[in-house]
Amino acid sequence: MTALWRFLTSLKTCAWAGLVFCVAGAAGSVAMGRFPELFADMDAQVFAGWFARKGLVDPAPTLWLYGLLSCTGLLVVNAACCTFERLVQIFRGTVTMRRLLPHVMHLAFLGVVLSHLVSAVYGDRIPGVAIPQGGFAPVGGTGWVMRLDRFDAVMAPEGYPKDFSATVTLFRDRTPVARGVVRTNEPLFHEGYGIYIKNFGTSPWGAPYAVFDANRDPGATAILVASLLFSAANLLYLFPARRNDA
Amino acid sequence: MEDAHLILFWLSLAAYGAEAGFRLAGVAPSSPRRSPLFAGVLLHAAFLGIRWVLSGHAPMAGLFESLTVFSFCCAVAGLLLCRSEETSMAWKPLSVLVLLPQAGAALIDKRLTPLYPALDTPWFATHVGLSFLGYGFFAAGLALGIVYLRSGGEAAYRAAGKSALYGFSAFSAGMVCGGIWAYYAWGSYWIWTPKEIWSVIVWIYFATLTHLKFIPAQGGWPGWTKRLEMGATAAGYGVVLLTFLGASLLLRSSHSF
Repeated sequence: MTALWRFLTSLKTCAWAGLVFCVAGAAGSVAMGRFPELFADMDAQVFAGWFARKGLVDPAPTLWLYGLLSCTGLLVVNAACCTFERLVQIFRGTVTMRRLLPHVMHLAFLGVVLSHLVSAVYGDRIPGVAIPQGGFAPVGGTGWVMRLDRFDAVMAPEGYPKDFSATVTLFRDRTPVARGVVRTNEPLFHEGYGIYIKNFGTSPWGAPYAVFDANRDPGATAILVASLLFSAANLLYLFPARRNDA
Repeated sequence: MEDAHLILFWLSLAAYGAEAGFRLAGVAPSSPRRSPLFAGVLLHAAFLGIRWVLSGHAPMAGLFESLTVFSFCCAVAGLLLCRSEETSMAWKPLSVLVLLPQAGAALIDKRLTPLYPALDTPWFATHVGLSFLGYGFFAAGLALGIVYLRSGGEAAYRAAGKSALYGFSAFSAGMVCGGIWAYYAWGSYWIWTPKEIWSVIVWIYFATLTHLKFIPAQGGWPGWTKRLEMGATAAGYGVVLLTFLGASLLLRSSHSF
């Protein structure tokens, strides 16, 4: 038991897990290009759904993902055990509070990974909702129907889009529940879903249309909070007085 | 004005070239502030500032602007970390690391290009700017690591450690900004692309590296010493290059130029 605890709190465990993570990730970046039929739709659904469908079908090209997930898990446990050990030391008074800063970063790291896990399991991806101007389309399994009230595009003389926006209304049982303007970098949020404009064009009969994604990431807010906590602790850690003997 | 501002680019390139030439010839200025590189950084800053005003967006879009900002960040990181006499030897390799991206940028189309709507957000400048600042510190880490491996010295060791820590901090903040931006622009803070995977590799690599400093030398780690740590700090620049150029140019990615 002591040996296991030493392993889980060891910096060497962190080092080896980090190294294997880098190797697995590098292999994965190449595998993604070599097996597009396997990986091209990774972002079209949440990770857990994709992994359940494709992660177990062909183990060889997805082996790197197992490495990546195992190392991430080990790094999380390593950081948690290391921080727990330090908190016990602080509680017993054997070390000072000043040594807490790196462990705030550890906790933030845990927060990011665990929140991402929530998004990867309980999130939702509804890609490619195409609607002509004035038309309606169902939004996946949300029970909403979306209407594209109006589409506007500002084109530069060179032919590229300078700005484009869509005014949309969401209906549930024929009752409008949300209305707003969606443009690049400005999605419409409603009941945990973000409505994003992804593409636009003109239909064969001349009507403009827009293509939307509807995504739900239940862990996103927690990830943002944990990331900001990490950044704040990291910034404080840059001051040498706080770094000594951390 | 559009062409005139490029004169500043060429002048800064000439200054960086002069610095590298002097350094490789064994001629060192009495202080970094009296070096051609310092003049080059001032000219380079003026160039980037004017280009920002002319284009209406942060000059960090496309390969030309990315390379020139990379060069600028390498120079700034070097000026911050290699100020003492003990660390000045790092300028020999670092001046080359500053020159190469700027020289590479000189070969590329320099016309002002419009910004794709998704890039038209403050998160673009913060994400890219902080990431390149991190890259700059990692470049300084390579130079300082080489100095330590060749000549030793506690000052070079400490400065190299700072390069990894400062670079990691800037890069982490850049990743946070990138995640926020991606969430608003593409609907997810994380997208499975080679570039994003490599960005996490850089993050994990330097996070691990900053931890390894705390492994006691007598702790039984297989040969873990300051020399190995400096070797790993220097090698980190290779990981950065693979991320910045390799993943963008060789692997299909949404971050490609």
